[in-house]
Amino acid sequence: MNPAWVIALPAVGALVVLGLGTRAATGWVGAAFGLVTWLAGLWVALPYVGSAESERHVLGEMATGVAPIEVALTVDGLAALLVLLATTVAFLVLLYSVSYLRDEPRRATYTALVLLFTTAMATVVLADDLFVLLVGWEVMGACSYFLIGHYWERPDARAGAVKAFLLTRLGDIGFLFGIFVLGTATGSWSIGAANESAASGAMSTSQATVAMLLVLCGVVGKSAQFPLHTWLPDAMPGPTPISALIHAATMVAAGVYLVARLDDVMAASPVARSVLAVIAAVTMLGAALFAVAQDDLKRVLAWSTVSQLAYMFAALAVGGYAAGVYHLLSHGAFKALLFLAAGSVAHAIGTTAMTEMGGLRRALPVTFWTMTVGFAALAGLPPVVGFFSKDAVLGVVSEEAFQHASWQGWLLLVSGLLTVVVTAAYSIRAWLLVFCGEARGARPQHEAPWSMRAPLVLLALASLAGGVLVLTPDLVDPLGRTEGELVHPVLAAVTTVVLLVTLLLTYAEWWRVDGLDPAERFGPTRRLLHRELGFDRAYDLGIALPTWALARTVVATDRDVVEPYVRGAGTGARWLGLGLRWLQRGNVQVYVTAVVAGGLLLGLGAGWLVP
Amino acid sequence: MSWLLPALVAVPALGALVPLVWPRAEADRVAPAVGVAVSGAAFVVSLVVAAAAWGRDGMRLESEAAWIPSLDVFWRVGVDGVSLPLVLLTTLLTLLCMVSLLRGGGPECGGERNLVATLLLLETGVLGTFVALDLVLFFLFFEVVLIPMWFVIAVWGDRHDAAGRRRAATVFLLLTVIGSALMLVGFLLVHAETGTFDLLVLAERGGLGMSAQTQLFAALAIGLGLAVKAPMWPLHIWLPDAHAKAPTVGSVLLAGVLLKMGTYGFVRVWLPVVPDGARQLAPYLACLAAVGIVYGSLACLAQSDFKRLVAYSSVGHMGFVLLGIASMTPVGVNGALVANIAHGLITGLLFFLAGALKDRYDSAELTVIGRGLYARSPRLAVFLAVAAFASLGLPGLAGFWGEMLALLGAFDPAEGLPRVTFLVCMVVGGVGAVLTAAYFVHVVRRICQGEPASPGTEATSVELAVWAPLLVLTVLLGVVPGVLLAVTDPAVQTLLGGGR
Repeated sequence: MNPAWVIALPAVGALVVLGLGTRAATGWVGAAFGLVTWLAGLWVALPYVGSAESERHVLGEMATGVAPIEVALTVDGLAALLVLLATTVAFLVLLYSVSYLRDEPRRATYTALVLLFTTAMATVVLADDLFVLLVGWEVMGACSYFLIGHYWERPDARAGAVKAFLLTRLGDIGFLFGIFVLGTATGSWSIGAANESAASGAMSTSQATVAMLLVLCGVVGKSAQFPLHTWLPDAMPGPTPISALIHAATMVAAGVYLVARLDDVMAASPVARSVLAVIAAVTMLGAALFAVAQDDLKRVLAWSTVSQLAYMFAALAVGGYAAGVYHLLSHGAFKALLFLAAGSVAHAIGTTAMTEMGGLRRALPVTFWTMTVGFAALAGLPPVVGFFSKDAVLGVVSEEAFQHASWQGWLLLVSGLLTVVVTAAYSIRAWLLVFCGEARGARPQHEAPWSMRAPLVLLALASLAGGVLVLTPDLVDPLGRTEGELVHPVLAAVTTVVLLVTLLLTYAEWWRVDGLDPAERFGPTRRLLHRELGFDRAYDLGIALPTWALARTVVATDRDVVEPYVRGAGTGARWLGLGLRWLQRGNVQVYVTAVVAGGLLLGLGAGWLVP
Repeated sequence: MSWLLPALVAVPALGALVPLVWPRAEADRVAPAVGVAVSGAAFVVSLVVAAAAWGRDGMRLESEAAWIPSLDVFWRVGVDGVSLPLVLLTTLLTLLCMVSLLRGGGPECGGERNLVATLLLLETGVLGTFVALDLVLFFLFFEVVLIPMWFVIAVWGDRHDAAGRRRAATVFLLLTVIGSALMLVGFLLVHAETGTFDLLVLAERGGLGMSAQTQLFAALAIGLGLAVKAPMWPLHIWLPDAHAKAPTVGSVLLAGVLLKMGTYGFVRVWLPVVPDGARQLAPYLACLAAVGIVYGSLACLAQSDFKRLVAYSSVGHMGFVLLGIASMTPVGVNGALVANIAHGLITGLLFFLAGALKDRYDSAELTVIGRGLYARSPRLAVFLAVAAFASLGLPGLAGFWGEMLALLGAFDPAEGLPRVTFLVCMVVGGVGAVLTAAYFVHVVRRICQGEPASPGTEATSVELAVWAPLLVLTVLLGVVPGVLLAVTDPAVQTLLGGGR
């Protein structure tokens, strides 16, 4: 089957859903299109999972004046895995949303945007051409913007949407220029051609470095890595299923996918890899620390997403292709699970503030058990999938540190191990605050309906069983891009001990403070972390305010300049008359010079020459 | 088939007489319908032109006749891939303007009879400019447009500010006339050394027979004349006022097609006729274009009047077009042409929407319009949001491709141009693109989102009929831009002498 179906079907679904409007069936029709897309995704992707084969479909060609843009799609092992992840989570989210948004008047636009997002994500994953990829990439961003702003009466939703769009857009300009460099270096816009050119050495190291540094701008923006990390937590006022799909499992992971896709170009540039390593090291620990101090469940999860994405980049920065992709898939499953479970909690008690929760274990048994699996995966507790994928990442990083003795490896290893500790702490803290102890707020009446429970259970089963993937490393790395095993027993034992000690200590502290917030122990540090080190304020003062001031100056200048211009135009007319008299004397050169000079003066100077 | 283009130019001109000779008592009432019929006929003729010329290489449907032989002036017309899309854009936008006048959509001060006649005359001038292949003919049609536009702004403009609209119209007229005078001097200079006004001959010669100095002066004079129209920063100064005071149909045509006459002139005349002069001036053009992109976006950011905002956004978008032209590469010029069409569709739509808001709230001030249009007038608000995203250059919608190709042109400019200058211009243009995104999401936040201020009125069927074609074309051109590029690319390669 042509992979274009995976792109076309949800787009058709979006139009159908928009046509249905707010009818009762809207949600179900959306879910049906999600199911059809998932089946198409299976059909397209399954033959290529774990296969070294790839297939290219050319849909059309577009002249540009230089190398034409070939609208082409490619299915290979990596694309197949991502198609499965994206279509599966999209289908589960659409199913979940049927009940979650049952009484919402805006569910038609919501469902249509989710379907359009699925189209865009499939485009990114299947694109063989950098511009086709960019189209999907940016349409995802637009869908994200509109869905974060779904509750547009709320100021935080409006502000979060604007921030998310602008920060990612800022990075994407770099990405666009990176595409220019790649395309000019290879004479084609094809991703495959770029990789081949880099692998064969036809592309110079400096070209690869410039291109990848520019592409990384877009990646850092999309995946909310330092220093463009601040938008993701502010995107949380969007509906929770959206957070699961877009802001955890798929769109933000597209940055990781892009780096993995351009693995050969990345490998050709040690500088780009080092920059990525530093970004990953800073982001994984910083975001995890921010997660410890949050009071809002979704905000904790958002920071944990930022931190976990940094793990994936850490692996890719030291050439650990298989580990990075494995953690991408594993995180996609367990983080979607965590967000959907958080949505189930919010659905039951009407808030995501952890100060209002506590003791929800009995009232929401399905949510409790599935979310426990999710938190175990996040913390990296054996035998849940997160344990194996995180071990794979730390394993490849430690090999880099010990065997190649590179500073990048050591930096990432230290940061990664510290992050294991912090991750365990915030995971169990959130778990305790939500489900254990005394109820601090409203008590839920009932567990969520089946269409919400089913996705939770399915994702929990996937998270429990996903560990078996380590037995078949070929599945995530069919081309054998990385050497070494996915399992590292010694390291796994060390991290597990560290993890268990952290869990016990946090639990003891929670017990000591009598079921209140164990993070209070950090005192003023906690408040600093809660403010996320003031990045928002710094960006406001450093970028937003000067831009506004400049904008007001421009408006004032233009207004004050109009009047003199009108008079300047009169002056210009007089000069014109003067020139005409010269013309009658027959000296064309002088005439032209005068007119041209007059015109130039009129244009450039009249504003301030004639006060 | 050589009668097709004269017919295309003549249909609106003759049609303009119909409302004028109609019995006076009925004229105002039937004028919009007559306008729809005439501009519809012109649109059909342009479709026939497209059917005859689309996808064929070289100049098509040429016709030539001696006009004032003693002055060496000929009637020479033809279309190719550069002009054809602009011809279609012109007839489409004029038709939609006429439709928007139906069912009481006309100006509140009345005078539909004269307005329709004026707009049709305007259409003649624009179409003539796009098909002219003789420098003098080009100049004449270029000038024909000015007087009707002056009337449209001065008579049917902002009814709260009679003095302001007169002044805006006069500033527009004065600056463009001065620009045109310079342009004519440039044309005469070209003729003085080459002995012909024939654009095709001149383009083929590619500046042969002109001294370097003449080329430079001619390029400067012609460039300045066209830059006023485009408009290039800092000659844009007539534009915000003209737009703010013009009636909706005036703004739509001004932004949608009149600005394109300037950029079209750059591609049709400036680049091929005086290439050596253009090469010397191109870096300056690129710098001014880049400044215009950022300046226009900054002005939009702090703008409180929606019509002025869309007007300033045109300065930014035309900056991309001029940057593409300044790169003197096929890719940059293709980008300029695609951006032209995209800007015509998107900004046309934005001005129609601004007009709809002004009809409802008697002001285009964001504070007067108030919050929550998503709740008050959902259809209008959705059109507005999509148009805003198209205008900020979202890939997948029309606005992206032209501006992307223009930046790509600046990334790798033609040989002999200073690469570093163009790289800086490209980065500045990229910053401008982010600022463009900033002001559009800001506008959506200010008027579409938020608690609804007061009950609103939903879009009427006439309004939807006007907006929908523009939106559909914006999406189509965004998804399959290759359709347009397949037409422009061969023509551009020919104009630039087969590439670099």
